[in-house]
Amino acid sequence: MEKKYDQFKEQEPTEFKPKVKMAALLFLIAVSVLVMRLGYLQIIKGTEFKKKSENNSIRFRQIRPLRGLIMDRNGVVLVDNRPSFDVLYVPTKNKGNELSVEKLKELYKSKSLEFSYDQSILKDTKLYLPIKLDKNVNMEKVALVETNALNLPGIYIDVSPIRLYLDGEMLAPVIGYIGEISKEDIEKSNDKYTYGEVLGKYGLEKYFDDYIRGRSGAELVEVNVHGKEIRNLGMNKPVSGYNMVLTIDADLQKAAWQALEGKAGSAVVLDTRDGSVLAMVSSPSFDPNLFNNGISNDQWNELQNNPFAPLSNKAISGQYPPGSTYKLIVAAAALEEGVITPDTKVLCKGSFTLGNRPYRCWNKHGHGYVDLHRAIVESCDVYFYTVGKMLGVDKIAKYAKLFGLGEVAGIDLPGEKSGLVPTKEWKLKRRKSAWQPGETISISIGQGFNLITPLQLANAFCAFANGGILWRPYLVKYIESADGKVYKKFLPEKKGELKLSPKTIEILNGALWGVVNEPGGTGHAASIPGIDVSGKTGTSQVLGLPADEKARRRKVLGAFQKDHALFACFAPSRNPEIAVAVVLENAGGGGAVAAPVARRILSAYFEGKKKDKYQRAMAQSPQMNKFNN
Amino acid sequence: MIFLKFDRRIFHYFDWMLLAFVLSICAIGVLNIYSTGFSSSEGQIPLYLKQIQWIALGLTFMIIIFFIDYRVIIQYAYTIYGISIVLLVLVFIFGYASHGSQRWLGGGFFAFQPSEVMKIVIIITLARYFDDHKSSESYKLKELLWPLLIVAVPFVLILKQPDLGTALMLMIIFISIVFFVGVNRRSLIIALTSALILIPIGWSFLKDYQRERLITFLDPENDPLGAGYHIIQSMIAIGSGEIFGKGFLSGSQTQLKFLPEQQTDFVFSVFAEEWGFIGGLILIILFMVIILWGLKIALQARDLLGTITAFGVTAFISWEVFINIGMVLGILPVVGIPLPFFSYGGSAMLSLMAAIGLLMNVSARRFILQR
Repeated sequence: MEKKYDQFKEQEPTEFKPKVKMAALLFLIAVSVLVMRLGYLQIIKGTEFKKKSENNSIRFRQIRPLRGLIMDRNGVVLVDNRPSFDVLYVPTKNKGNELSVEKLKELYKSKSLEFSYDQSILKDTKLYLPIKLDKNVNMEKVALVETNALNLPGIYIDVSPIRLYLDGEMLAPVIGYIGEISKEDIEKSNDKYTYGEVLGKYGLEKYFDDYIRGRSGAELVEVNVHGKEIRNLGMNKPVSGYNMVLTIDADLQKAAWQALEGKAGSAVVLDTRDGSVLAMVSSPSFDPNLFNNGISNDQWNELQNNPFAPLSNKAISGQYPPGSTYKLIVAAAALEEGVITPDTKVLCKGSFTLGNRPYRCWNKHGHGYVDLHRAIVESCDVYFYTVGKMLGVDKIAKYAKLFGLGEVAGIDLPGEKSGLVPTKEWKLKRRKSAWQPGETISISIGQGFNLITPLQLANAFCAFANGGILWRPYLVKYIESADGKVYKKFLPEKKGELKLSPKTIEILNGALWGVVNEPGGTGHAASIPGIDVSGKTGTSQVLGLPADEKARRRKVLGAFQKDHALFACFAPSRNPEIAVAVVLENAGGGGAVAAPVARRILSAYFEGKKKDKYQRAMAQSPQMNKFNN
Repeated sequence: MIFLKFDRRIFHYFDWMLLAFVLSICAIGVLNIYSTGFSSSEGQIPLYLKQIQWIALGLTFMIIIFFIDYRVIIQYAYTIYGISIVLLVLVFIFGYASHGSQRWLGGGFFAFQPSEVMKIVIIITLARYFDDHKSSESYKLKELLWPLLIVAVPFVLILKQPDLGTALMLMIIFISIVFFVGVNRRSLIIALTSALILIPIGWSFLKDYQRERLITFLDPENDPLGAGYHIIQSMIAIGSGEIFGKGFLSGSQTQLKFLPEQQTDFVFSVFAEEWGFIGGLILIILFMVIILWGLKIALQARDLLGTITAFGVTAFISWEVFINIGMVLGILPVVGIPLPFFSYGGSAMLSLMAAIGLLMNVSARRFILQR
């Protein structure tokens, strides 16, 4: 390929002279065309264009799209849109405009209305760029501005749709909130977004933003020096976002919310037959309507600094030691691995010793000789210390993972946490130290490094309840276009299978039923007359307590050092329909505190079902139809 | 080894005038970019500073290219071409997108667009080819198949990114050079006819927004909100500059961001708004001088290789100038071609400086090379 250029054989190329001259000529012609055009625009048409640019008469105005509605599984609207009226001011070179703001201020004062705009925004104005003087104003202010329009050049009322969260706090951590796009987002977005665009910032609003946002329209308008529109030059219509239909049942959600009101914690209700989420509560919550017009700094800081973290969805991002609810998994592991039989008995004298260290049972008097059934019903710790030691940490971890712990459940929400299932390998890698036998003892009653989210807890019990299918929990049933056509349907998705033997399932089913229904069962508070409930209580320690009995009693716990109360259950025990997990932060014992909350949710579900059945029967009966007509 | 034959006279023949013209356009360009960024308040490094960095880097690049005999550089033309094609393919695999098309390779300060570099590579590759295949008569269509393939490969790759402007630029460079080396009249007629047939087929390969732009050019009323808006705003900006302009940092169209793509495709509008007809005219004259200078170098080159290289480079710069200014003045479609030395852009600046390095290279060696 390479070629030598050692000598110059050819002559100086002269044959190109005419061609170069030709090229030069062509180029000069092209340049003169450019210069003539430049002269035409700047000299002949200059004055005209100058006027245009001064009045800046052509304005490119964005039209906000309607964000998609959000509905519950029965079509009850949870999130709607409403018009918001803003008072805008457009600074121009016109002297009169500067006075407009002052005039408006006086007008407000004369009617003793509050005028709360930030003085500093006027310092930093750019010509012709509208400034929001007053956001989301009431009709009185709208009327005031409109009637005085002639005296207020540069000031006008702008209407745009904003979000209306009909249920306020009830579902806020799940649905999330919206906000105006940030500068960084615009730069990262490859022209996808423009300034002023409203985006979902949290929860479903964020996760499904691409579907429900819609597309901004725009119009080109000619305006006069005061910023008033004179002529519409063209318009691209905005496209409304898709509506979302959730798997949430609004009535059940409300009942669950009320059951948790005043407490810090969360509850998750899953349909065991498909993994859809019927209710998801995180308490305390916030008012998502605060974000509609840009939340104020004070309000934001207040929410951010609140120790009960109202802005986070604890059902998916709260991570807690599972406590005794974990015994379901340890028991399943022990039976499947064959380290015990249902008849294996362990003597509980109130504590268990490994090395020199005693590990206490919650019942300091001891449970005596217990088999697996009693151990679960009465939640005997010593039994599970013994079984856990026989199994070893990695066997426990294997089953915990089968139950979906240690990894995100995969729900359609941003910010889901994965929890933690410790193994020997994990400890060596992350903590750089070897696994201690005593740590296995803590693990086997759900303490120690173990962490789960309430969603994972519900999902694990859901999988056990339905005979072994681990679903991917989901919140959105389908997405439909504004005119009601289904655009995208979400189907139940199988994540895994427990593959427990029928024998194991039978034994554990009996034990979980016993927890709620047998004498001595720790979950008695969740029982409902007429319906069989199966479940497991859990109390997870936040703080290690002194082993010495007296010291323990003397120790005063701070508000955030108290135990977390957990309860996970499903019902009806035979042919289950729903699985419920309740986790209350720093609230005390699971059986005493969390189980009653679960019971309220369960009874709301079954009452609702009864009501539905009745209504359906009424609607179908010919007499009712006649009556309606 | 020709590499080591370093000749002191090379300094003597260094083309200072050309450098002066180029640098004055660069300097005005930096001031102009400063003006576009004046009213924005981002925390990042302002673009005008980045542009200065690019100019400095480009100058280094230019000097390196100047010192290596162009005949040596072009000896490796096919290798360089091969590497550039590989880079273009890499853009597909690893590249990242900006403004809806995937053009970039690398990251941070070192992000660059292989498609910009391709413009220069195509010139030296074609120069090498036509020097290898000298012909006393004009070329027939059959003989032009290889050069056509040389251009077609990067053309398709760049069109797919999609970057219509750069792809068309490659084609225009190719056509200019083919006309320059001479093409058989009969072949020309055949080529034109087949082009007429191919245009509708090519149309079907264009992206929607590219079609939109071409339609908008033919009928601006068609889309007053989209691409038509850009042209309208650009014309308002330029026209309102009148004879003397609104003054530095005072262009209302610019400062209020009515103008799109201010630092890249529409820089000339910014300049014409703030400096008026006088400023615009001076800038056009500066470009004109550079181009006539380049044609003179092509004419005086000692060998065919030098002539084709110098002509190719000059044609490339002049087409970019004409298309960009024509576009912002509303007489050509908006196709995304930057204004040489004036628009913001690192890869473009580097390849333009390389191009100038080649021109100076040919210019200086016309005295040194022995017959």
